[in-house]
Amino acid sequence: MRLELGEIHISDIKLGDCSKVDSGTLYVNVEELRALLLEDEDLASVEFDVVHPGESVRVIPVKDVIEPRVKVEGPGGVFPGVISKVGTVGSGKTHVLKGCAVVTTGKVVGFQEGIIDMTGPGADYTPFSKLHNLVMICEPKEGIKQHQHEHAIRMAGLKAATYLGELARTLTPDETKVYETSGVMSGKEKYPDLPRVGYVLMLQSQGLLHDTYVYGVDMKRSMPTILNPTETMDGAILSGNCVSACDKNTTYHHLNNPVIHDLLEQHGKTINFVGVIITNENVYLMDKERSSDWSTKLASFLELDGALVSQEGFGNPDTDLIMNCKKLEAAGIKTVIITDEYAGQDGASQSLADADPAANAVVTGGNANMVIHLPKMDKVIGHPEAANIIAGGFDGSLEADGSITAELQVITGATNEMGFNKLSAR
Amino acid sequence: MVKEIERAGIPVVHICTVTPISLTVGANRIVPAIAIPHPLGNPALTHEEEFDLRYKMVEKALKALETPVDDQTVFD
Repeated sequence: MRLELGEIHISDIKLGDCSKVDSGTLYVNVEELRALLLEDEDLASVEFDVVHPGESVRVIPVKDVIEPRVKVEGPGGVFPGVISKVGTVGSGKTHVLKGCAVVTTGKVVGFQEGIIDMTGPGADYTPFSKLHNLVMICEPKEGIKQHQHEHAIRMAGLKAATYLGELARTLTPDETKVYETSGVMSGKEKYPDLPRVGYVLMLQSQGLLHDTYVYGVDMKRSMPTILNPTETMDGAILSGNCVSACDKNTTYHHLNNPVIHDLLEQHGKTINFVGVIITNENVYLMDKERSSDWSTKLASFLELDGALVSQEGFGNPDTDLIMNCKKLEAAGIKTVIITDEYAGQDGASQSLADADPAANAVVTGGNANMVIHLPKMDKVIGHPEAANIIAGGFDGSLEADGSITAELQVITGATNEMGFNKLSAR
Repeated sequence: MVKEIERAGIPVVHICTVTPISLTVGANRIVPAIAIPHPLGNPALTHEEEFDLRYKMVEKALKALETPVDDQTVFD
């Protein structure tokens, strides 16, 4: 498969009465976009704001972060099975509005998760402080059920990103990147001497606000399967989760998965990147056993020499991670796991809930229990009182002056287990 | 908690869903539970069926408590 990503660099967003991209500025007709989003009967209101890097602004809570893209050549459309019709994506040409994102906020069902600070110490911990963000405050109609509420906010973000992505359809990209993958046989013929490496991408699938969707399929109802790496760049995988925001993959992470980008970069040079095995993290032990059996079986079918495994979340998914690692290693496949740590506020406790000697090559995204202090911002978008009840916060996290003392896990993407952020350890 | 109570000389049965974690942390008597969000229940069942499920699980745990073990044991 061959996918061309044409990047259009965005250096500003302005709200106005006409939607277009002109000289690197994204103009958004808010009334037109609002009307589109309010076609969803579960939404009562959508308000818009724009935040830029370096501004004294806090967004809390954060539901999802999404990069606008549009498919300009080749089969399928972005976010297949959810926004576009089902159809295999990952080939042809896709345009990307680079440097900006849609950020959804509002009351997020029961849990209120995730903080993005655009300046100060908090900004250093989230990659999304470096983007120009269209923030959408989505509030639901009274009386709707929790799963409808989650669905409404999730869809609003995806619809807005699709609407903005469409503006890039006829533009000439500032930069074009080409990603090319091989078939199982052709890769072997082309690179007979390179080690065969696969990527086991673990996806949260534990229920409301802990779900991930692949071509529209709720991943907890799927067996592990194989994706071509470029499919993820067209939105084959979408986030429906944001609880303990530090190590949850937003849709932006899935579109820009750094493990996939780095493996493709080395494909044909130091390794033969054979493919992506996606698997889930369910709440039943039997599912955990079955899915780790299957991810290992698929890895063996692909005759991998090595595998990278990235986790999403922590706690009981540590068991899915360790099962994947143990079974892959037992099948003779050298395995590296990418995780993060909950080692206590002093960093002295056991980092993962589960462990095994087979996990002898581990990359960490940092200690999510580390306590941080986020100073007051001049402006807060969303619901600041959420700081008292988010995972990593505690009663009194939100101080009278508007500052927040909480664990690092409150910050969206801070300890991301795809290695998207900068934190790690030696 | 399981280990601290046992250290004080009182045998413990750990009813838990993710038995591998229980093994890792060192529980000696482990009874598998239903699922992480509902260890002792199952929302797919009727109230009566759930009561029966829970009753049997507690019974199994009590049996495990009086069973001598030499090593970490999962009572499947």
